[in-house]
Order: sequence, then C-alpha cells, then structure tokens
Amino acid sequence: MTNMDITLPSKKFKHKATIFSVAAIVVTVACIYINFNPLAIITEFHFIRDLLAEMFPPNYQSLTENSSTGYAILQTLSMALLGTLYGGIIAILLAFLSAPNTMPYKFVRLMVQAIVSLIRVMPTLVVVLIFVIAVGPGAFAGMLTLVFTIIGTFGKLFADVIENAEQSPGEAIYSVGASRLQVIRYSIVPQILPPLIASLLYSFDVSMRTAISLGIFGGGGIGFKFQLAKSVLHYKDMTAYISIIIVLVVLTEKLSDYLRRRILGEGKLR
Amino acid sequence: MTSSKYSFKRYRKLIIPVISLLVVAEGAAIVCGATFDKLFTGLTRGFSFLAYMFPPQWNAFSEMVEPALQTILIAFLGTIFGTIMSVFFAILAASNISNKWVRFIARFLIGLERSVPEIVIILLLIAAFGLGAMSGVVALALGCIGMIGKLLADTIEELDSTMLESIESVGANKFQVINFGIMPQIMPNLISYTLFRFEINIRLSVLLGAVGAGGIGYELDYSFSMLQYHRALTAVIVIMIMVFGTEQLSSVLRKKFAGEGVLK
Repeated sequence: MTNMDITLPSKKFKHKATIFSVAAIVVTVACIYINFNPLAIITEFHFIRDLLAEMFPPNYQSLTENSSTGYAILQTLSMALLGTLYGGIIAILLAFLSAPNTMPYKFVRLMVQAIVSLIRVMPTLVVVLIFVIAVGPGAFAGMLTLVFTIIGTFGKLFADVIENAEQSPGEAIYSVGASRLQVIRYSIVPQILPPLIASLLYSFDVSMRTAISLGIFGGGGIGFKFQLAKSVLHYKDMTAYISIIIVLVVLTEKLSDYLRRRILGEGKLR
Repeated sequence: MTSSKYSFKRYRKLIIPVISLLVVAEGAAIVCGATFDKLFTGLTRGFSFLAYMFPPQWNAFSEMVEPALQTILIAFLGTIFGTIMSVFFAILAASNISNKWVRFIARFLIGLERSVPEIVIILLLIAAFGLGAMSGVVALALGCIGMIGKLLADTIEELDSTMLESIESVGANKFQVINFGIMPQIMPNLISYTLFRFEINIRLSVLLGAVGAGGIGYELDYSFSMLQYHRALTAVIVIMIMVFGTEQLSSVLRKKFAGEGVLK
C-alpha cells in the first residue's frame, strides 16, 4: 500500500469510498429507525444462554408418549409432496399456456401471465389464512397453500424454460407435416423435461421447509405440534421437535438430490 | 400419432414410476384429508370470503405506510448483515482457503442453519429477546447464512486456482489472497445471490411480522383476528405492491450490474 500513498486516491477508489459511506449511513439510519442495535446481540447474549439452558436437554419422551407425532411427520411430508406434485402440474400447464412458442393467441398468454404474477405476489400469509377459513385448519389448508406458492414460483420460471427451448428441431418436424401438438411432444417436451424435473425435485425440499412454517399458521403437521409446544412454553419439547425438523429437512434434501442424480444422470428421459 | 404398439414400448419403462407416484399421492391425500368434495366446498367458501373482503378500507392506506416501511427495513437490514456474515462463513467453508477442520465446522453450521426454517428461528429469538424488529432482523440474517453461505462457498471452491496461486507466489498473505484474488471474482455472484435473497426476505419479513417481528405482517394478522377484513385487504394490497416493487427493483439492479460489469 505504501507506493499508493504518493498518488492521489484513484477515481475507482473514490467511487468505492462513496458507495461504502452512503451504504453505511443508510444502514445506520435504518437501524435507528426500527430500533435495532446490532451490538445488543453481544450485550444481551445472556437471554440466549438462558433460553438454551431451558431448552436442553431435549425431552424426547414427549414424542413417544404422544402417539400422534409420527402422524404429524407423515402429514408434513404429504403436504410437501402433494403441494409439489399438484402445484408442479398446474404450473406446467399454465407455463404452456403462457409461452409464445406453444400458445399462439396473445390474449390468452397475457391473461395467464397476469394470473401467474398475481399468484406470485400474493403473500403466503394471506393465502394460508384464507385457506384456513375456507377448508378449516389442518393439513389440507397447508397443502392448498403450497400448491398456490409453487404455481407462483414456478409458473413464470417454466414459461421461460419453454420459451428458451431451441426452435429449430420443432421447425424441422413442422416442415415435414407435424401438427402443433406433435411439435410440442417431440421437440419441446424432450428439451424442457430435464430442467423441469430438476426444479420440481428442488422445490420438494423447499416445500418441506414451507410446510413446516405453514403448520405454525394452522396448516397442521409437525409445525403445528411445534407451535403447540411453544405456546405452552415447553421448551424441552420444542427442542425435540426442532431436532425432528432438522432430520426431516436434511433427509428430504438428500432424497431429492439422490432422485435428481438418478433420474437426470443418465439421460433416461429422452 | 404413431401406432399403439410402438407407443407402448416407448412408455413401458414409465409405468412403474407413474403407478408408484399415484399410489404415494393417494396415500398422502388420505393423510392430508384432501378430497375433491372438500376442495369444491372450500373453494366456493374461499371465493365468497374474498368477495366479502371487498372493498378495501381506503383510508387505512396511510396507516399502512409506516408498518410497510418497517417490514422493508427489517428485510433490508437482515439481508445486509446476513450477507456480511455469509461471506465470512463462505470463506471459512471453502476448501481452497481454509483448513480441513475449520471447513468441516463451517459447513456443518451452514447446513444446520439451512435445515431450520426461519420461522422456527424467530420463534426462538422471540422467546429470548422478546417481540420486536430485532428478532426479525437476526432471524433473517441467520437465514441468509444457510443459502448465500452455501452458494458462495461452492462458488469459491470452483474458482480458477491458478490465479490464487499466482497471487500467493508473489508473497501475498491469506488476507491479501482473499481481498485481491477471491473478492473481485465472487462479487458478481455475491450481488446476484444477495438480490435474490432480498426478494425472499421481503416475503419472509411479512410472514415473520405476523409472529411478532412487527410491521405489515402484524397489521395483517391483527386485522384478520379482529375480523376487520376490509382493513386486512388494504394490508394485502400494500404487501402485493411491496413484493412486486422489490421484484422489479431487483431485476433492474441485476441487469444494471450484469451489463456494466462495474464491480470487476
């Protein structure tokens, strides 16, 4: 750094310094506005220590004496699975309706795109509250919310995947007399299937996490159990549920990785 | 279409996976209590409820501005602090910089964080620190580590090693290698991950608000539980505008950074 001191600060350095100081000021103002003191984590760390002392050791007995734990786990898994499956199917259908190379009518495309965007910006909290009112609290409400979330997340992504598919194979078979449906089946589907399946498998483990959170808002499953334990301040039971949640999430992640490698690794889908 | 004989041969290998998927889905539907019957009655009830929520309470919009700003700031600060921590964790978790044991511990912590949903983290933080924005910011910041930390660590591991070696060979220490060899290379990825995470954090911040971080999520949950549905609809509209706005902002910024390559 010594040889840089004899020259004036470079333009690049000034640029960086400006960005950095503006960012620092914005962060400080924001911290003051919402009354957040980063140092409080260190000064008030004893609260966390007290909580951890309350939480450990986890009370695994509460899981065995309460026979519905296994069922709650199963419910969470089913919610995630069905949410991904049905959400994925609907998202794929909507994607075909909103990509220009599969849907020739602009009006339909715009309509579907508008619906998908509306679903995407709809906050999950609202969706789950409405479904809890509509079908009653429980795993079904959670599952419907997941279907909604998945449509929002993947409807647009899948449409982009379809749109970016290579055009020339489709044109080639169109020129020898294939119908529009045949073009979709033999040119577009083989191209988009691997990325679609990869994203759906990925979304399965994302939905697993969402399914747990939804339980807390009345979606049923293990999240609901956790919420119950929390509301009566049984911290040791909470730790037991958290450990189950961690194991569940890690296992689904491994499963989805394994399936992805298994299905996509050898190009079996073509 | 081709002849049925050919078609059957072609799709034969799919029969077992499809049937097992259907069986599993049916079982899952029983566990969830999902029936078409319930779906249709539920949908009609849901739609009539939505219709009942209209019209939004227009004069509540001005009351929603401050909570909305709070939610955005929680997400913003969570992303900023989270990103700083994730860079730190990512460097510790990359095999080409840190040593084996540090890497193992850092990877373990990242993985542990990844597998705990943010909402569980915030419930614990609320139990420790009480209700308020602080729990929200800390929960979101921790949430960043799981995602950005892992993605960045993988990015760093995939960097071209010759560049790092050449910096090292002219006598740079670890810090200089990180500062001049790694940071400029990961900057574009870091920015795109951060923007992506910011979008997620805005959504999460709404959700966390409902369980006690304050902000617009709290307003929404409160209006729902007080049965003030018109007010709730106002909050919904504000949230939708917020989410849409962030999405647009992030895509504009992403294009800007990608186009100019200012950060290299």
